[in-house]
Amino acid sequence: MTNLLKTPAGWPRPLLGRASAKDPTDLDAAVKAGAFDGLKKAVKLAPAGALAEVRAAGLRGRGGAGFLTADKWQLAAATPADRRYVVANGYGADPAARTDAVLLERDPYGVIEGVAIAAWAIGADSAIIAVRATETEAIRRLEAALGAAEEAGFIGSDVLDSGRELNVEVRPVQGAYMLGEETVLLKALEGKRGQPEQRPPHPAERGLFGRPTVVQNVQTLALAAWILREGAAAFRAIGSPGAPGTILVHVRGAGGAGVAEVPLGTTIRTILGLVGAKAPAGPDPKALLVGGPSGGILPADLLDTPYSFDELRAAGAHIGSGSIVATGPQADVVELAELLTRFCASEACGKTIPCRIGTRRLEEIAVRINAGTPRPTDADLLTDLSADIVASGLCDHERLATLPLTSVMRYFRPELDAKLQPVAEPAAAH
Amino acid sequence: MSLIPGLGLVKGMALTLRRFFQPKVTNLWPEVPAEISPKFRGRLQLLYDEHGTLKCETCFQCAQACPIECIDMGGMDTKGRYAVHWGASETYGERREESALRRAGRTVPDVAYEHWSPIDLGQVDAILHEADHDPKRMLEILGATQEAYGYLPVAALKRISFGTGAWYAMVYGTATYYDHLRFQPPSQATAATSSPTRGPAAATGRERIEADYLSGLDGAIGRAPKPRPKRAN
Ligand SMILES: Cc1cc2nc3c(=O)[nH]c(=O)nc-3n(C[C@H](O)[C@H](O)[C@H](O)COP(=O)(O)O)c2cc1C
Ligand code: SF4
Ligand code: FES
Repeated sequence: MTNLLKTPAGWPRPLLGRASAKDPTDLDAAVKAGAFDGLKKAVKLAPAGALAEVRAAGLRGRGGAGFLTADKWQLAAATPADRRYVVANGYGADPAARTDAVLLERDPYGVIEGVAIAAWAIGADSAIIAVRATETEAIRRLEAALGAAEEAGFIGSDVLDSGRELNVEVRPVQGAYMLGEETVLLKALEGKRGQPEQRPPHPAERGLFGRPTVVQNVQTLALAAWILREGAAAFRAIGSPGAPGTILVHVRGAGGAGVAEVPLGTTIRTILGLVGAKAPAGPDPKALLVGGPSGGILPADLLDTPYSFDELRAAGAHIGSGSIVATGPQADVVELAELLTRFCASEACGKTIPCRIGTRRLEEIAVRINAGTPRPTDADLLTDLSADIVASGLCDHERLATLPLTSVMRYFRPELDAKLQPVAEPAAAH
Repeated sequence: MSLIPGLGLVKGMALTLRRFFQPKVTNLWPEVPAEISPKFRGRLQLLYDEHGTLKCETCFQCAQACPIECIDMGGMDTKGRYAVHWGASETYGERREESALRRAGRTVPDVAYEHWSPIDLGQVDAILHEADHDPKRMLEILGATQEAYGYLPVAALKRISFGTGAWYAMVYGTATYYDHLRFQPPSQATAATSSPTRGPAAATGRERIEADYLSGLDGAIGRAPKPRPKRAN
């Protein structure tokens, strides 16, 4: 069970507000605490009104890229089709970040309500909540919650007497890291092998079985439910102006580890404080890995960077899986970059050349550098190859897979340069 | 020709002598299993379609990728005008005519084709019926087939391809992609797991990749990493 970190009393908790419920699948208790008020409001507002509310709130996707949620919904609603789908992405690809599973376990109704609102806004009659097959507790609770919500008429054949139908299904999926990527997830749901598709057309235009599909991270959906209940203005009051609201992070450091709900724009220093990874008087961590396996490795000078989409991008990292790792003072950042690059190369799907061969070559460069056998051209090769992969990649995985090494090159140049000097050949064995 | 007579001979002998004193490299297979990539997805073979024809489009991708150029390939362009060719001419020569016929929309029986381990197909048929012969329910079909037979026999995969209309290559590719599906009877896997060289804690490719990553993070944080799981098939 993942540890829930205590956050300061004044912090808003749109995602984990009901997390302390004794039985998260108890529908009556959840409804008393506000569950499905947002859906009722959405039905009253009509689809266009619900969409307008989400747009006014400025909600951005929590799955990593921070895409404007209302734009996706609008595109899906405007694309002519006989059917539309909503897919909730609760796959949680990064094995080091259990944020989505924690949300599904603690408040399944929040996610279900969000799914229903998205379906209402775009006119979908079927929805799938995809969950990593190993998260059995999350799946069990979701299934129980879906049954109760259907019985109460929040979903099912006649959503809140609106005359609209909505079938929601939980689908356990298992496979590679890549399965979290939206086009790959859709492939898995179609029963095909998991490889990404070229975008555009975006899934919102041509998604599951060729129909407009809104793929949304489970946190994004739960936040949409909160927005309809509490109003766009209340949401805008949380977080930072460019990225309102909160997000779940999984923090790891010497002081401990756990999941916390933090307002976007909170500094990384404050977030680390939640696990005691950065005790006020203690030493700073040497480096911060932000964004999961394809995250950026940032130096301690950037501890005051706001944790938010655009600021992290500018710093050479990304929100990614919501994972933040604070390394100890002994950590070797070049070796850490090799570890991450190896993971990304092993998990690349193999569909395209930058993916299949580019990531492998990156890994080889990292291995050579760490083994003390760099080639004189390796620094240039690393720069060129990374630029080529970013320019020619099919999906975001291979593009982001360049981040660990390029961020080390940007921030830890002396350490990298020291390793770029070949070690003198050991004397030949006698 | 070298300026110093006999230098070539000396060089050759020197190489022999050097190799003679180098440590011997002997693979103790099968006692010590070979190190394979964690993402290895199974058999390496050309696939057949339901007519027994090799499913190869002669796109040359594999011939080009092969580092020792051991794959030869011949084919015809789509109008049947130009013969195209890659590689040394001894191998794969018969592909030429076949792909020309295939592109003309006809199928060719392959003399080398024979059925894989025959099984009783009744159970697959029942599963297909249950799933409405719907290729969109492929993972469900594959899962049920594995439950019925204990693994995914090739003959069953072929039947699924035939019954759903999905290409065999697609069915096969899907089946290799997902961790929980396997192509060997579980009895073999169990025997391998309990073998003294591998120990009981054998792990799949993905488990090893994830464990490597998580223990690496622990190391960077400064916590003692957990021991890595051993490899399974
Ligand atoms: C390699 C890779 C892995 C991803 N894994 C996940 C994941 O586990 N969960 C998730 O919600 N989004 C993941 N995404 C992002 C999705 O592609 C997609 O952008 C997201 O589900 C959209 O939802 P949002 O707009 O609510 O963020 C991943 C993307 C990539 C490139
Ligand atoms: S790569 Fe080309 S030659 Fe190789 S199997 Fe595929 S189609 Fe046939
Ligand atoms: S991981 Fe293969 S194309 Fe992106």
